Amino acid sequence: MGKEELQSKLTAIFQKTFNDESLELSDELTANDVENWDSLSHMILIAEVENSFSIKFKLKDLNKMRNVGDMLNIIESKL
Amino acid sequence: MVFTSLNFLIFLPVVMLLFYITPVKYRWLTLLISSYFFYINIKPIYALLSGGITVSTYVFTRLIDKTPDDNKKRILMILNVIIILLPLLFFKYFAVINNELILLLDDWHLRWPLPEMRYILPIGISYYTFMCIGYTIDVYNEEIEAEKNIGIVALFVSFFPLILSGPIERAKNMLPQFRDFQRINYDDLVKGMQLMLWGFFMKLVVADRIAMYVDVVYGNIESYSGNSLLLAAILYPFQVYADLGGYSLIAIGVSKVLGIRVIDNFKRPFFATTMAEFWRRWHISLITWLTDYLYTPLSFSLRKWGLWGIILALELTFLISGIWHMASMTMVVWGLLQGTFLSIEAVTSKRRTKFEGKYSLSNKKWYMLLSMMFTFILFAISQVVGRVDTVGESWMVFRKIFSEWGSFYLDMTTLFYAFIGIVIIILKDFIDEFFPERINFFTNKRVWVRYSSYLTVAFVIILFGVLEGNSFIYFHF
Repeated sequence: MGKEELQSKLTAIFQKTFNDESLELSDELTANDVENWDSLSHMILIAEVENSFSIKFKLKDLNKMRNVGDMLNIIESKL
Repeated sequence: MVFTSLNFLIFLPVVMLLFYITPVKYRWLTLLISSYFFYINIKPIYALLSGGITVSTYVFTRLIDKTPDDNKKRILMILNVIIILLPLLFFKYFAVINNELILLLDDWHLRWPLPEMRYILPIGISYYTFMCIGYTIDVYNEEIEAEKNIGIVALFVSFFPLILSGPIERAKNMLPQFRDFQRINYDDLVKGMQLMLWGFFMKLVVADRIAMYVDVVYGNIESYSGNSLLLAAILYPFQVYADLGGYSLIAIGVSKVLGIRVIDNFKRPFFATTMAEFWRRWHISLITWLTDYLYTPLSFSLRKWGLWGIILALELTFLISGIWHMASMTMVVWGLLQGTFLSIEAVTSKRRTKFEGKYSLSNKKWYMLLSMMFTFILFAISQVVGRVDTVGESWMVFRKIFSEWGSFYLDMTTLFYAFIGIVIIILKDFIDEFFPERINFFTNKRVWVRYSSYLTVAFVIILFGVLEGNSFIYFHF
């Protein structure tokens, strides 16, 4: 899966989880920038990402996700 | 020695002076000795406990760092968490389990009376235990390296501004500051004093004044009418805010005059419009600690169950938080209530966002005010359960509020001062929330405004403060 395809697939997951069809992803985007992205919706997001990409995160991976860029890199390393 | 004692007013300037004249390289030692002096003065034996927890945490974090095998690291991490939790569990739950067992033995006529042992919870133990657990897990997660100087770890555990009631700090924030002290600057000194002054105001003028009414009414629920109980129920959240919030400001301020930055513990909680937001503004250091080390691992392992997994993780986190506050049924109910409020919000969140969007409510002032009041009411309800001794008593409070109004207990002087105090605190929070740069007293450009504000607050504390040396609520946890 190319980086662009990965990003567009992730964008769709974000839009669905946070109920915002205009949401666009950038590497620097963090939970502070998105309404409703809190510790509760974060875990729903994580589960959605795991299902869509058929991957499994480790708890340690979660600590390393400081922004969307980190998340993309970690997903890419597991594909 | 507590912050509101005369001893502390002598202790702090002496420590500041010693700290400033110590060469930067040895400042950690000055602070470590001062911190142990501070803690030993409460009860000498406590120092053994904090010392033991320091040694265990130091040894295990170093071992975790040196072990290459992930499984072994994990075992070492879990071992240290268990070892340092044991004293807390013992002191916290010994009495409860002991009493329950005695009752059980009495019931079965098996009691063989021996002299009863009594233990009091060592003050501060929860806070440094939590800090050490966080540090151990962070080292395990490779977020920080284990500190090689045991003296710095000892200072992290015993740092006197935080040892009694937090804020529950993180090694990530504190260790680098203890390794390399910054030069004290004038701004920090002034800011630290300002925070302390306002903290003393919140505690001595507001919290302890409200306590005079709340303690009387809650102390004898049966004799007071529904309207008096309602007033006490409304006042109590303000009391806790002024008490723990005031304590936290003093702790942060004292750290600041020593050049140490400590995280905020409260962020104008009564301006939250949802419970989720409330818990991001209330006792922040505890909630973020619980989120990182309890809720996240729990919800991560339950994520297969989707929303239900999150709800279960929330309930469990707040249940444990409740039982940590006190081993009682009331705190079990308190925890479940918080979890339930947040779960209902999480389940209805999408619908609410849609509804608010449709009628563009989120910017409407009246809607915000209503949401704030609703959030406050939910929190106040939970605090009734948190304040009484038994679940039965909390039912009595609610029943009386709804059905038994009678003669109003009005201790006019107390209520008058308490009311004025609450108005001042909320007004200050209101300005900080909505007009942060517009109106300021402590940070005003004009010198005469700044100094007259300091003097006014200081005089108010001396004239209207309750100076009988009341303890802080969160010392009991």
